[in-house]
Amino acid sequence: MASQLSFAGFAWKNLWRRRLRTLLTLCGIGMAIGAFVGLVGFSRALEREWMRMYSSSGTDIAVIQQSFLGTTMDESAGDKLRTLPMVAGTAPVIFNMMDLTSDVNALAFGWKADSYDLDSLQMLSGRRFREGQPEAMLGDLLADNLKKKVGDTLDLQGSTFTVVGIYKGGSALEAGAILLPLDEMQQIGSLQGKVSTIHVRLKPTPPGESSDAYLKRAEAAIEAALPGLRAVPAAERASNNQFVVLAHASAWGTSSIALLIGILGIANTMAMSVFERTREIGILRALGWKQWQVMALIQLEAMVLGLAGGIVGIVVGFAGLHLLAHLPQTASIVSANVPAALVAEALGIAILAGLLAGALPAWRGARLSPVEALAHD
Amino acid sequence: MTNATSPTPIAGPILVARALCKSYDDGRVQALRGVDLSIDAGEYVAITGASGSGKSTLLHLLGGLDTATSGEVLFRNQALGTAVNLDTYRSRDVGFIFQAFYLLPTLRAFENVQVAMLAAKGSANHRAERAEALLVEMGLKDRIRHFPNELSAGERQRVAIARALANNPTILLADEPTGNLDSVNTARILEILARIQAERGMTLIVVTHEIEIANAAPRHVRMRDGLRIEG
Repeated sequence: MASQLSFAGFAWKNLWRRRLRTLLTLCGIGMAIGAFVGLVGFSRALEREWMRMYSSSGTDIAVIQQSFLGTTMDESAGDKLRTLPMVAGTAPVIFNMMDLTSDVNALAFGWKADSYDLDSLQMLSGRRFREGQPEAMLGDLLADNLKKKVGDTLDLQGSTFTVVGIYKGGSALEAGAILLPLDEMQQIGSLQGKVSTIHVRLKPTPPGESSDAYLKRAEAAIEAALPGLRAVPAAERASNNQFVVLAHASAWGTSSIALLIGILGIANTMAMSVFERTREIGILRALGWKQWQVMALIQLEAMVLGLAGGIVGIVVGFAGLHLLAHLPQTASIVSANVPAALVAEALGIAILAGLLAGALPAWRGARLSPVEALAHD
Repeated sequence: MTNATSPTPIAGPILVARALCKSYDDGRVQALRGVDLSIDAGEYVAITGASGSGKSTLLHLLGGLDTATSGEVLFRNQALGTAVNLDTYRSRDVGFIFQAFYLLPTLRAFENVQVAMLAAKGSANHRAERAEALLVEMGLKDRIRHFPNELSAGERQRVAIARALANNPTILLADEPTGNLDSVNTARILEILARIQAERGMTLIVVTHEIEIANAAPRHVRMRDGLRIEG
């Protein structure tokens, strides 16, 4: 018996007949989805790692400036926080991106030597830094990138720091970070007496109260005690700190432009395909194909382009993330991990992009008069 | 053979054209100027006329490929385009054969036949079996897997006839079916069409400008300047 021709098989043959154009379109949408996977994957990994950093240290609340213009607050706010009955501990922090060498930059944290944040780190060699001393601790990933070991020195913003310890961090951010004594960090940044945020660890939730209610009560108590400051749950802070917000915004902005270009590429391919196949569409209509069946065929072709481009894009995006995760400049903030949810989201967007791009050509193709289409050269 | 599934001809007209007019270019070109025509079920009719006489336009309207500017076409006493959906009519009740064959170049012969059946309901197995049976019936057993550009003109037209028969229509419409063929293939195609019409009891309407081909049909309708002048 002769082989069977299916609707999908017919669509595939239409794409296959113009292989070069199909390939180029796939590359276009593939690059767009690759940009999405790479950039959004990066920004979400950053958020996830930030959350892991809070979780591993046991931080429940981050206290920050209420005004978006203010990026620092008085360190003395920590003293007031410690007087609140539900507060078990506080950890004032300064953080920022810092160029360590011409090739390597990393997140730099200024912590107190007795900060509970340090308790979650596992020392691999050396010891913790001391306050008032130009000493630094390096995450294992950063130490590898810088090829530094305990006893080596680092020049930071005109000051020489001695590496006194190498630690294994609870998150990729910590593993790629440099930790300095808070007072040294304040001095480097001319921020004496100032901090970026104060991490707060709460006492255990009292019996009979839900953890959510307890957290909300603590937030209210902190904001009442410290007017002008905001108490933000750690999970929320992980997603709305300036690095993550910037990463999300640039990831979505760049991806959207790339996706728009990809959609226009598919739309152009499908529009040309419909134009070139005008007579064939006329034949199909003469054979009794209904308008919706012609539309479905063109949309299926566009969707297959989107889906195949999506698969190409996921591979490209993953490869890009993998590369960034191994480059010294970006290794400290990029994880090569691509979660299944992101893959599903990328495929969904790719298919949607195909359907969107194919909609107008499909509609125009389906509306062709059979007689006029048959007469088309 | 597929006689077992062929429709039984119903006595009386299967197609009726009433005061059929078709104009183009905002009425500047009048292809049909009030054509009345009645064709019985199972009838074999040839429509002839000079180029521009309106014979192909009439065929397009009878086949539901186009709609009339005024007048109507009745299929089994129901108006095309209103009581009868044109897409359904084309997929279920009529089969077309064109002078230029109009096979899809990327599909093999058996796929070209199956593509007509994709518009209708039916299993993939049924489509494949029927396509193969029709191509065998057309004497193309060894050409089933060939692409159109690997077939001769006569073979292409036979694939097109198989495709026209794919959905087991009651009416077969052929627009200059031998216009691109040599005399040997012309004779063969005419023989096939006549046999199909006789065996299946189908209504066959052939548009041609060649009088010898028209003479093969029991009924001969002549067109001139958009009017039916004889038959």
